[in-house]
Amino acid sequence: MSAAKKPIDIKKSVIDAILAGLISLIVFGPIVGVVLDGYGFDLQPARVGWLVAIVMIGRFAMSLFMQTPKGLKVLHGFESTGSGVHVLAPDYKSRLRWIIPALIVIAIVFPFFANKYILTVVILGLIYVLLGLGLNIVVGLAGLLDLGYVAFYAIGAYGLALGYQYLGLGFWTVLPLSALAAGLAGCLLGFPVLRMHGDYLAIVTLGFGEIIRLILNNWLSFTGGPNGMPVPSPTFFGLEFGRRAKEGGVPFHEFFGLEYNPNIKFLFIYIVLFLVVLLVLYIKHRLTRMPVGRAWEALREDEIACRSMGLNHVLVKLSAFTIGASTAGLAGVFFASYQGFVNPSSFTFFESALILAIVVLGGMGSTVGVVIAAFVLTVAPELLRAFSEYRVLLFGVLMVVMMIWRPRGLIRISRTGVTPRKGVAP
Amino acid sequence: MDGIFLQQLINGLTLGSVYGLIAIGYTMVYGIIGMINFAHGEVYMISAYLAAISLALLAYFGIESFPLLILGTLVFTVVVTGIYGWVIERVAYKPLRNSTRLAPLISAIGISLILQNYAQISQGAKQQGVPTLLAGALKVDIGTGFVQLTYTKIFILIAAFAGMAVLTYIIKYTKLGRMCRATQQDRKMASILGINTDRVISYVFIIGAAMAALAGVLITMNYGTFDFYAGFVIGIKAFTAAVLGGIGSLPGAMLGGIILGISESLFSGLINSDYKDVFSFSLLVLILIFRPQGLLGRPLVAKV
Amino acid sequence: MSQTFYKKGFLALAVSAALGVSAFAQADIKFGVAGPMTGANASFGEQYMRGAQAAADEINAKGGVNGEKIVLVKGDDACEPKQAVAVANRMVDQDKVAGVVGHFCSSSTIPASEVYSDAGVIAITPGSTNPAVTERGLSAMFRMCGRDDQQGIVAGDYIVDVLKGKKVAVLHDKDTYGQGLADATKAQLTKRGVTPVLYEGLTRGEKDFSAVVTKIRAAGADIVYFGGLHPEAGPLVRQLREQGLKDVKFMSDDGIVTDELVTTAGGPQYVDGVYMTFGADPRMLPESKAVVEQFRKSGYEPEGYTLYAYASVQTLAAGFTGAKSTKGEDAAKWLKANAVKTVMGEKTWDAKGDLKVSDYVVYQWDKDGKYHQLEKQK
Repeated sequence: MSAAKKPIDIKKSVIDAILAGLISLIVFGPIVGVVLDGYGFDLQPARVGWLVAIVMIGRFAMSLFMQTPKGLKVLHGFESTGSGVHVLAPDYKSRLRWIIPALIVIAIVFPFFANKYILTVVILGLIYVLLGLGLNIVVGLAGLLDLGYVAFYAIGAYGLALGYQYLGLGFWTVLPLSALAAGLAGCLLGFPVLRMHGDYLAIVTLGFGEIIRLILNNWLSFTGGPNGMPVPSPTFFGLEFGRRAKEGGVPFHEFFGLEYNPNIKFLFIYIVLFLVVLLVLYIKHRLTRMPVGRAWEALREDEIACRSMGLNHVLVKLSAFTIGASTAGLAGVFFASYQGFVNPSSFTFFESALILAIVVLGGMGSTVGVVIAAFVLTVAPELLRAFSEYRVLLFGVLMVVMMIWRPRGLIRISRTGVTPRKGVAP
Repeated sequence: MDGIFLQQLINGLTLGSVYGLIAIGYTMVYGIIGMINFAHGEVYMISAYLAAISLALLAYFGIESFPLLILGTLVFTVVVTGIYGWVIERVAYKPLRNSTRLAPLISAIGISLILQNYAQISQGAKQQGVPTLLAGALKVDIGTGFVQLTYTKIFILIAAFAGMAVLTYIIKYTKLGRMCRATQQDRKMASILGINTDRVISYVFIIGAAMAALAGVLITMNYGTFDFYAGFVIGIKAFTAAVLGGIGSLPGAMLGGIILGISESLFSGLINSDYKDVFSFSLLVLILIFRPQGLLGRPLVAKV
Repeated sequence: MSQTFYKKGFLALAVSAALGVSAFAQADIKFGVAGPMTGANASFGEQYMRGAQAAADEINAKGGVNGEKIVLVKGDDACEPKQAVAVANRMVDQDKVAGVVGHFCSSSTIPASEVYSDAGVIAITPGSTNPAVTERGLSAMFRMCGRDDQQGIVAGDYIVDVLKGKKVAVLHDKDTYGQGLADATKAQLTKRGVTPVLYEGLTRGEKDFSAVVTKIRAAGADIVYFGGLHPEAGPLVRQLREQGLKDVKFMSDDGIVTDELVTTAGGPQYVDGVYMTFGADPRMLPESKAVVEQFRKSGYEPEGYTLYAYASVQTLAAGFTGAKSTKGEDAAKWLKANAVKTVMGEKTWDAKGDLKVSDYVVYQWDKDGKYHQLEKQK
């Protein structure tokens, strides 16, 4: 590219900045500058001035940067398309190969240092890791855009609450049952929607998610409606973690002669959750290397080709849906026992969007990326607490910027290359 | 016909025509770049603020006649919202034009968070409203009862259908419309034929935002109140309407909106309003199972 | 590169938090103030904070609690249960609060109170009216306000006794607060021999209620009771009037006690004659006179829940002082046995933690968009 030699055109940048300033004046002027007060208004021109100035300076700097060789390279990056997986050299050793063991070590060591607040934030992060991993199978690997994923999460959470209320089931019984129930629901939803293509699938799943939430909200006599339902604490071989055991039992701390510590319950949830996450990580790792995992990805890339090759697309899609849904069911059980209470407002469309954002930001199909993105997106709002009212705004900006910066996610899905073994005919 | 039933039908029709106007924004953007613009509901919300601001400003300058007020507000809101549509496309979607299908979707979710909080921070977290502009109603007596039609509702129906007619004319008979349709059919081919597809995409975003702005003015006039969260519910409904009618099809968006509006209204009128959303989503799922391309959408033929 | 960046950030977060927390040593007594400091209900959070701060300042000026100064810790739950649990954990564990004033939304207070109860921290909510807040057998959960069922009884009795309603339509917004209230009112109406002709939910965030309004017309109701908040109540009453139901009386709850009702209804002409139940205005009490004046002098009108928050801090302080302890459970025991003189008058609590006397009265809006208390009808 010869463009690198071009001198930097300051005049162009100035014009760019002025144009951007004018547009931002029109855009921000009315809404930032005229604050409605009843049917009247207050004028706040200073705020508009600041915003316009920031936009102009930003545009000027960006315009200058884009003319430098480095900027041109960034610009050029937008033009290229990349699809499929990135194949690495056969002997490639990732610089990040230590990241999983390191994360595991941190995860084991960290509860000794953390207090309950940090512990709960991390539990929430792990729950989203689970959700992200599940949705990653559906969206990232199988390429089925699911906007109602939260429905399965809700099934898991309410499974625990309802199971306790009506059948007296506890955490341990419900954990596998919820995964089953959510998987079954995923299978049931999967059947009718298999005929649909990409975005119709999206809206149908969105509708399904809303239907589940509305039923939970409206069926007052069964689910408690908007009031929600209490959820029992998990137990350890029948020992409860409460200060006092509920039905005449012996609480955990008395049994072991420890002093009462409310953290134990969360520590316990953390340990079980961590083990489940490891298990799911392992299963997913194996699945992607098994025929079914390859079939998911093949179907994502070209459905017609797959079907003409004799791949049973119904079975393949259904398996993705079912496995993804049952992972969400597991996450739901943990969420319910973490919160000790469930109500429908935890399962809105925004939650689905957040999980989808985790998958896309992490890099579709990439496991490590999803783990990182899940923590970024759950810890970020907590870190941003300092910005109080600008918190969600910054969160939105973060999503847009991350997408523009890394449209394919933090970590691209990649495969180790294959070399023909010696002595084998090509 | 029963007066109550007819009233419910009219309620549904006004609600549906408004859904339809917003659905146009979804359907056009989807038709041309195959992307679900999740921020579209928030664009409508911004336009509601703009309409209220414009009304307040016009009232401050002493303009009181209804035609002037409404005309001024319409022009102001449509123009500024159109620019919003353009800026959003430019900042959040254009850099992602060539990346994966899901990247702009996430970007759009980010934009909708930004717009919601932008409105909340700059205008305060309170309920906003506009004074009643067009008071009074038409009371039509029919055999078994009466139907009450406010002037605002009549105005909404007229304006919505006028807006649709203008848009249909633009798409069908003008050069811009032909360019849009060409880009929708085959973006690569259109650019080979000398159409600046990037610009056409920008136009589509502007048109979609303008239609949302029209809806914003009409809804604000009719219900008189909104807040920074107003775009969410109506955005989901309008998106449903667009898919119901067949995403990518303009008459489909309008039809989908009206079907959705009437079915909601009749279901809550005749059965129970608690489950009206469950009903509309179930209707959508059912229609899509039997007609996966929506009511008026063209069936998707996959070629190898 | 980016990956290492996030990793470092995460490490730094975990380490700094772990170290930073244990390094503190408490000398003061800490009270948490939790509520929606951001989001759609942020104005209530501000009322909480203002009221609590003023009370803490006053108590500190008089020597504090058992000689210790009150320090307030702010917690934002944005009225989301998930965030409420996180905030509760942080206050209990990281800030080591002795007592909590909060939360606002009942759906936040309920899960958060489990955390407080586990940690043995006393909590008092100035504004959560859902019965379930105190109905779950928690020993240290108190309430500064009335309960929805008490409010529903007042509303139901008023409809039967004063408005002489025969055909009542009961609506709600399908949310914890609104539906709980509508249910309570419906129960009281049924008890008094008036079966509602219509009982339905609206969807929060929607503005078109014309289908429901037409249904009210079809049912021939003469009174509409709505359990919910002003964003839905405003358009509902306007659409009632617009569909020609001019004589139907409209009654609602303390969720519409804000001037914004006029804005949402499209002008004062639509709210004219609307009834609502609300606690007797604490600003009118003789006990609050000095405090209210002080607020007004500093340029703040102590409306809504400001004085409720003020009284909550006073109650907590009285509990700890009275029990001569810093343990939440001792303070709770003391409060259930003794009366406390607060800015809202003398208050006593029953074994569940509810106020023994609730003071709901009926207000009415006038054609200028103002509300005033109606004479007590006996």
